[in-house]
Amino acid sequence: MSVLIDSLLAILIVYLALQCLLAPRLTQTVFLFFAFGLALALAWVRLGAVDVAITEAAIASGFLGVLFLDALRDFSFITSGKQESSDAANHSVSKKKPAFLSLPGVVLVLGLGLFLLITLEAVWKVPESGGLTAATEALLPESGVENPVTAVLLNFRAYDTWLEMGVILLGLLAVMAVGGIKIFPVHRKTPEDPVLQQVILFFTPILFLFGAFLLYFGKNGPGGAFQAAVLWGAIGILLHLGGRPVLTVIPRWLSQLLLIMGIGFFLMLGFLLLAGGASLFEYPPSYAGVLILIIETLAAISIAVTLVSVFVHLNQLNKEESN
Amino acid sequence: METYQIYSITSGVLFVIGMGGVFLSKHFIKKIIATIIMGSGVFLAFVSFAERDALSFADPVPQALVITGIVVAVASAAFALALARRIYQLTGEESFTIEK
Repeated sequence: MSVLIDSLLAILIVYLALQCLLAPRLTQTVFLFFAFGLALALAWVRLGAVDVAITEAAIASGFLGVLFLDALRDFSFITSGKQESSDAANHSVSKKKPAFLSLPGVVLVLGLGLFLLITLEAVWKVPESGGLTAATEALLPESGVENPVTAVLLNFRAYDTWLEMGVILLGLLAVMAVGGIKIFPVHRKTPEDPVLQQVILFFTPILFLFGAFLLYFGKNGPGGAFQAAVLWGAIGILLHLGGRPVLTVIPRWLSQLLLIMGIGFFLMLGFLLLAGGASLFEYPPSYAGVLILIIETLAAISIAVTLVSVFVHLNQLNKEESN
Repeated sequence: METYQIYSITSGVLFVIGMGGVFLSKHFIKKIIATIIMGSGVFLAFVSFAERDALSFADPVPQALVITGIVVAVASAAFALALARRIYQLTGEESFTIEK
């Protein structure tokens, strides 16, 4: 029975991925991408990785999908129509000389097929090593948390998480560098959309509470800083779309402080531990639980602000073009 | 057939689909989505091996690495999207192909 469910889910994932790339219109591609991410999240639940499933559904499907949807306003429906017609033109040209019979096409398809075989063989033959489950299980009581994934993320391999926050910040800086840092108009006219205003009123407290729950619950079960950060970031994006741009209201030094707070506290803690004679992120076991909770809270706020800034800057890129 | 074996095979197929998409699709957004699908294949391989090595819980180290990886992939995709929109804004091009 479970084999049947898994096979169907696997077929669905492959089908959605194929459709996503083959769909003629960009809108179809983006919405199929949402569906693909959610189906993949189901697959991760089947594999027992609930933390990964929440992250996938929230960041990879939700947040990235929103960014793609926003980009659709640039590459509008008209351009995808143009692309279709140009595709049709290419097709009519290729009737004289079929594209898939040309030498590059044959080589590419053969190469991809060969590559598929090699990949499957490599995946099939990964040696059984037992992994690091036993080591994690033995050290779990010293980590200060009960969820093994959180223990690995914020204690055993805290180095990764710290650098990852740096990568997100770098991503924001790169987006800013592409679009240019802008002085946002503070007095933007509030769009009179009663449904959107009600949605904001209704969802803001719920999203905040649910984020806080995921953050705190991450100690014992699935959840944690990243999942909470996306929910809090969703509040910022909703408010921005509803004509209440949070980041333009608060002073620039405050938003900069919020951006670097997580990575900065992490770094200072690491150096303090180094000065105390321990290694970089080796927390004393008696304080580990409290320290991890503080780090997670600050990191979640920082990541939420970073995600909102990425969205706002990409959104602004669009606005200036239309003016 | 075990659960992890099904998803291992799926991961290989997803990687190749994404790779084909990177080569064959024209539009910027489709190319970016293709790289995300490629990455999803790699993550699926990681997590399926985590499930294979499970004792009382699935191996948490690959899972933590995958969570890190997803967030990094999203950050780089956002950067790629910003570049694509900037290119479109400056030149009006929406793909690398040259129209004849």
